[in-house]
Amino acid sequence: MNNPFAGDHSSIQRRETAARWLLRLGSYVVVLTTVAIFAFITVKGLPHAVKPGFLTELTSTLHVIESKDGKVFKTNPVEADVIKKRLGEGFQSEKTISYSGGGILGPIVGTALLVVVSVSVALFLGVCCAIYLSEYAKKGKFIEMVRLAILNLAGVPSVVFGLFGLGAFVLTAPVLTGTPADRAIFVIPLGFTNLSFQGWDTCVLSGGFTLAFVILPVIITASEQCLQAVPQGFRETSMALGATRWQTIWRSVLPFATPGILTSTILGIARAAGETAPIMFTAALAFKDKLPWQKDLPPLPADAGMFAHWEQSVQRFLGIFTESVQALPYHIYTLAAKIPQNEYSEQAQYGSVFVFLVLVASLAATSIWLRIHLRKKYKW
Amino acid sequence: MPSDSTTPPGSLGSKILRRGRRTVLGMDPQGLIKNFFGANSSIAIIVLVLIMVFLLREGAGFLSTYHHELEIYRKAGLEFCDIADTPLKQQQSMASALRRALSMELEPLVKNARERRDAAFLYKRALDEKSAEGAAVFENSLLFTPGEKNQIKSEIAALTPESIDLPPTLQKLAAEFTEKDREAKKTFRAIIEAEEIFEEATEPVAEILDELKTHATETKEAANEFHTLEVGRQQLLGAAASAHGAEKDEFLKEAELSRVDAPDYAARIETILEQRDDLSKALGEYAAAVEEAVKPLQSDGLSPEAAKLIASVQKALPTHLNHIQNAARNLKAWKWDEPVSFWRAVSSFAFGTGWITNSSWQDFYGVVPLLTGSLLISFVALLIATPISVTAAIYTNQFATDREKELIKPVIEFIQAIPSVVLGFIGIAVVGDLIKGVSQWEFLSWIPGFPIQERLNIFNAGCLLAFMAVPTMFSLSEDALNNVPRSYAEASDALGATKLQTVFRVIVPAAISGILSAILLGLGRVIGETMVVLLVAGNRIAIPDFGDGLGVIFQPAHTLTGIIAQELGEVSRGSSHWQALFMVGILLFVISLSVNWCARTIAKRFEHSKA
Repeated sequence: MNNPFAGDHSSIQRRETAARWLLRLGSYVVVLTTVAIFAFITVKGLPHAVKPGFLTELTSTLHVIESKDGKVFKTNPVEADVIKKRLGEGFQSEKTISYSGGGILGPIVGTALLVVVSVSVALFLGVCCAIYLSEYAKKGKFIEMVRLAILNLAGVPSVVFGLFGLGAFVLTAPVLTGTPADRAIFVIPLGFTNLSFQGWDTCVLSGGFTLAFVILPVIITASEQCLQAVPQGFRETSMALGATRWQTIWRSVLPFATPGILTSTILGIARAAGETAPIMFTAALAFKDKLPWQKDLPPLPADAGMFAHWEQSVQRFLGIFTESVQALPYHIYTLAAKIPQNEYSEQAQYGSVFVFLVLVASLAATSIWLRIHLRKKYKW
Repeated sequence: MPSDSTTPPGSLGSKILRRGRRTVLGMDPQGLIKNFFGANSSIAIIVLVLIMVFLLREGAGFLSTYHHELEIYRKAGLEFCDIADTPLKQQQSMASALRRALSMELEPLVKNARERRDAAFLYKRALDEKSAEGAAVFENSLLFTPGEKNQIKSEIAALTPESIDLPPTLQKLAAEFTEKDREAKKTFRAIIEAEEIFEEATEPVAEILDELKTHATETKEAANEFHTLEVGRQQLLGAAASAHGAEKDEFLKEAELSRVDAPDYAARIETILEQRDDLSKALGEYAAAVEEAVKPLQSDGLSPEAAKLIASVQKALPTHLNHIQNAARNLKAWKWDEPVSFWRAVSSFAFGTGWITNSSWQDFYGVVPLLTGSLLISFVALLIATPISVTAAIYTNQFATDREKELIKPVIEFIQAIPSVVLGFIGIAVVGDLIKGVSQWEFLSWIPGFPIQERLNIFNAGCLLAFMAVPTMFSLSEDALNNVPRSYAEASDALGATKLQTVFRVIVPAAISGILSAILLGLGRVIGETMVVLLVAGNRIAIPDFGDGLGVIFQPAHTLTGIIAQELGEVSRGSSHWQALFMVGILLFVISLSVNWCARTIAKRFEHSKA
């Protein structure tokens, strides 16, 4: 039965519904834009990304040769000469498009190396910092300053990190060398060699360390949350059984926080892989025709012993980190900024963007999914 | 942890506890571990300090280097030339406005005749080169009647390789064009004359200035060379001071050898000062001539566009003349040996309106165009992102079903993972053309700035940055809404408020501090973003023209972050340009710290007032 005293609510209800839809619109605009971007990149990029060789070849210059009977050849510099010779009289025109030929193996490898270095450094520093903040720290001036610094560090523009990396790692960081460079700020003689503050040059190490500080705030905050989420009872029980603080942390806290920490690390990886500005001056190259481990070392004499071989492989391994590399985000920047847009350059552009987006997005998606999953699993 | 104070030393208990414990550096292992983590926890502070240290190390020398450069700029007389030269630059834009107006008027009158002439000549050339394409163009041309076409064809076919004269019809066409042109020019004689005067009047000034400029540049080069040698000599002397014996003598000798005299500024500047009166006089004559030329211009009988251009020239004239007068006065007052104050270097960086680098004349590092660009882009981005992310946060937090929440939240979080360079690429490849296409729609032409000229502009960058700022602003606003005690909503419900009233009168006001600080943190994110603005903002280093009103957002601009990313790779270490870029980095660092500080203060202050 209707309430005879109730007023006419229909206008209020209508207003409510209208407002609700207006608010809903805001959310759905964002969601739809995201979906549209993904769909667009997938449609344009997928056909190029699945072409044979796109993921397994090094970048090269794209040569587009047109013959007089209207055929178009897209090829690399070496084969371009062969085709031109074969065409002979039938040759019409040739266009070259830098960086757009071959595949993107070099950038992928470079990004992977940068991520490995940066995440190892950031994870170590970040987790240690989080352990102190969550397990040891008492309230006080120092901890307040630390928290403030973490917040501020998260707000520093990435290009400023790039400048910092250039000043600190490329130009100043210490190296062990027998012959210090002139630009070294100071040199500490160690007897058998010198510790020279002359910088690491642009290389994977410089870029990786710079990126490590970019993602450090993310890792610290997330790790601390994970540590705090471990119930206090676990610690108390452990302490009551006579364990030391460290034993408690190592046996009763860290094991339960690790899945969460690793999950947030994945998000850190996505972030590190996606940053461009910090590696522009510290690690990235626009073009390189070799993989980092394909380094020209002097051939060993035939009678070289085990030790020489061993030394050379160590050198080769270290060389990976002291070379500058191509990186996916920087590669995309080069393709987008330095090459005019046309139908031939589009392939490399959309292909690289698609691969990059899929890589980063799948990392982020894994992280988000894992977190939801873990939250359900660990309910204390 | 057992503490020693509770067990007296030497007792059995303390012996048991101490058994098996070793100390390192006076600390037991537990203490060591704790201190290790403690040291690690200060990493964030250390990094912040290191960022500041390294930025300062590379950038701190900037002000003194720049001050030195400005000193030479004055002593060598470049400043003197610029006093006269700067107002003359305005003349170029006025002259080009006149030229545009003129061609706008002439064009319709002579267009047909010119095109007919050109088409016929092109056809002849096409036949000479045996290009079938060119011939086909002529066949399809609508400029000629079939009869004319046939005549031209037959005449050209009749040509022998030896004949020098053009076929008669072609000659006729050429003559027709010349005639039309002359007629048209007669009609618009006033504009043509004004334009010519504009061109000619600057010549005497330009002549004197050219001479002075060459002289000043020579002085500047000498000064720079002297400076380089002097720095080298000081280094040698420094090395000599720490060396001994023969080595020291060697250094001293070398330093003596590299000693050169400073350029004699006083003598060299005389050449320039001699011309001071001539230059002032030439400027005066120029001003009089220009005024004379522009005044009689009339805009009746002109097309609206041309009339607008003429009017703009006439409107700009008084300011221009004023500038010229000021210049003449400043030339008189200018002293070459007046010391350049250090403040001048500071203000020239902080308030300078030109960022001019790699110039053969004089480099200026004024940060204003970059700052304006950064602020405009951030403003546009915030204007778009704030309503969207705040409504999304309110909706998700208050109205959405659990299903919707599970969709919206991860998707928005996901946006954070989209690399900025990808968004920048999308801006170049898609959004730019989209905006340009939309701006050409007829019914949107009332929007200021439409149709837009540049694909890459402030608005484009702003849209993409808005998208990037959404996750930050959304999740922080949502947190703020989430933190509002449930009792608030319950109390409001109990009083009979509708859902909408509860949300907008109770919950949102209670969370407003968090939402505001979320917006500010979004601003921090947007100002510091590099790749999107580098790719999409258009990279034109100039203060956008605010004369267009709101249309200013459709102009290209450059930004603080973009300039660093673009130019740092190409400058040599330690040069003033390098230092200037690091100064821009310091500025960015300071901006980001203060935005952060504001966000925190707002969040705190409102919390207090709530309590």
